[in-house]
Amino acid sequence: METYENKKMMQTVFKNIRKDILRISEISGHGHIPTCFSVVETIYAFYEVMKHDSANPSWEERDIFILSKGHASLAQYVVMSKFGYFDLRDVESFGSFKSRFGCHANRLKVRGVEASTGSLGHGIGLAVGVALSFKIKKSDRRVVVVIGDGESNEGSVWEAVMVAVNLKLNNLIIVYDNNMSHQRGLQITNPGDRFKSFGAIVAEVDGHDVAQLKNEYILRHDTVKVIIANTIKGFGCKTMISNQYEWHRRSPNKEEHEILLKELDEAAV
Amino acid sequence: MRRQFKDTVMELSTSNDKLVMILGDVSVYLFKEFQDKYPDRFYNMGICENTLISVGAGLASQGFYPFVHTIAPFLTERSYEQIKLDMCYNQLGGNILTCGASFDYAWDGATHQCYSDLAILRMLPNVEVIQPGSLKELDVLLRSQYDNGKVTYYRLSDKPHTIDMPVEFGKAVVLKDCGGKITIMTAGPILVNVFEACKDLPINLVYFHTIQPIDKETIEHFRNTDILVIHDAFGLFEAICETAGLSVGYYGLPKDRFCDTYGTLEAIREDIGLDVTSIKEMLLNKMVQCL
Repeated sequence: METYENKKMMQTVFKNIRKDILRISEISGHGHIPTCFSVVETIYAFYEVMKHDSANPSWEERDIFILSKGHASLAQYVVMSKFGYFDLRDVESFGSFKSRFGCHANRLKVRGVEASTGSLGHGIGLAVGVALSFKIKKSDRRVVVVIGDGESNEGSVWEAVMVAVNLKLNNLIIVYDNNMSHQRGLQITNPGDRFKSFGAIVAEVDGHDVAQLKNEYILRHDTVKVIIANTIKGFGCKTMISNQYEWHRRSPNKEEHEILLKELDEAAV
Repeated sequence: MRRQFKDTVMELSTSNDKLVMILGDVSVYLFKEFQDKYPDRFYNMGICENTLISVGAGLASQGFYPFVHTIAPFLTERSYEQIKLDMCYNQLGGNILTCGASFDYAWDGATHQCYSDLAILRMLPNVEVIQPGSLKELDVLLRSQYDNGKVTYYRLSDKPHTIDMPVEFGKAVVLKDCGGKITIMTAGPILVNVFEACKDLPINLVYFHTIQPIDKETIEHFRNTDILVIHDAFGLFEAICETAGLSVGYYGLPKDRFCDTYGTLEAIREDIGLDVTSIKEMLLNKMVQCL
């Protein structure tokens, strides 16, 4: 159980990650900030709990993390920099012509990124293949893939879930970032029931609570597990929360940046 | 040809424990021998072509050699983006093997036809495109390419030709060089009809089993002739056209219409003028024009 002090300290960590995301987005003029803000704790939680080694990204015993909702790449870059994969200053080139750090990550350019994603509904199928390969090798390595609720409009997501359940891939954790993006278009009500009806084990957590996310990772089951991570797009900044359409893909100018920073500082995260 | 595919895979598996079969509910009985011997590496994953490719890429990322196999239009046209991104862009190589193209399932109609697979796949980086016309071509080219880390596409046919020739990846085969003014270039099983149609005519004949990379050297050799591509698919003509300054034409698929008939492969070939008689008649006319 985490103490109040620990929890508070961790919250500061997440505020700082969000500040880095804002800063880099302002510098670069790129980024999907609200969706980055919804998955900060999720990405951080799994980098904390999974087996991996930033000094040796191709360590043969590592677990695999795949961000299928690739437009949250900036959140992944900032979190990975905290875990020592690269210097955060390098990420400041985000989205520029020669940058290694694209608005959607390229695994061949970014140290430690396992899959190049961007087009929605791809990373999850790839994750199924990785999880299957660990089963064939009789390895206890695990795979975490983060998908979006909007992304789950794609039929390929559900294909992949069916295949994963059919193969009983209990080394695969699908994190469903339920940040309500789906409300804009094709709505997915009761996602947990849907995944359950596909045969997956489903757990529902507060996606901004690292402890809950980590606990669900630790609990083992005999088939695929889907963690419905209930999150808020733009979490920590009320301007983005109340104007999600406007901020979906938008970088702040200097003035807006100041306002968003203030909101973050004041937020009861 | 699918039996040859199975036989070659069985043989390769005796010395390589990294081959994984991923079937889209096709050729399942045929691969029972593989399934019985290597149950951990055999998956009839179901009718979900997008996922077959993505899973293949995932397996490749961990050192396996996936063999993804199902019916051509569904695996190539439906899953083009998975091939493009999960395999090619991620540089996760694998073997994609299809059946049914172009008109092998003639009786099933236009939904099961596939004549653009070669053309669209050859546009992708990190890809090899092979249309084996005979069992030998499939056997030789599978052995030479399956584990090279690239994405290799093999379009299998249930109606292979039996014309024997030396087979080497990326090398076209000059079947006839009689100094003719006209050179026919063709690929795959349609060779049967093309070979028969031009056997008594003073026409050069060049055969391709590899569409990407295309053998530019052999094409160059016939630069000073009128090149005519006879093919029951798109892709070969476009690949040959990339050599600048050729006089090259295409004879094969009709433009701007589906072949919305049923029946047999032979009937479709007759309908679109790819039977022996029609090809020969067309060639005789062309020879007259070239006089």
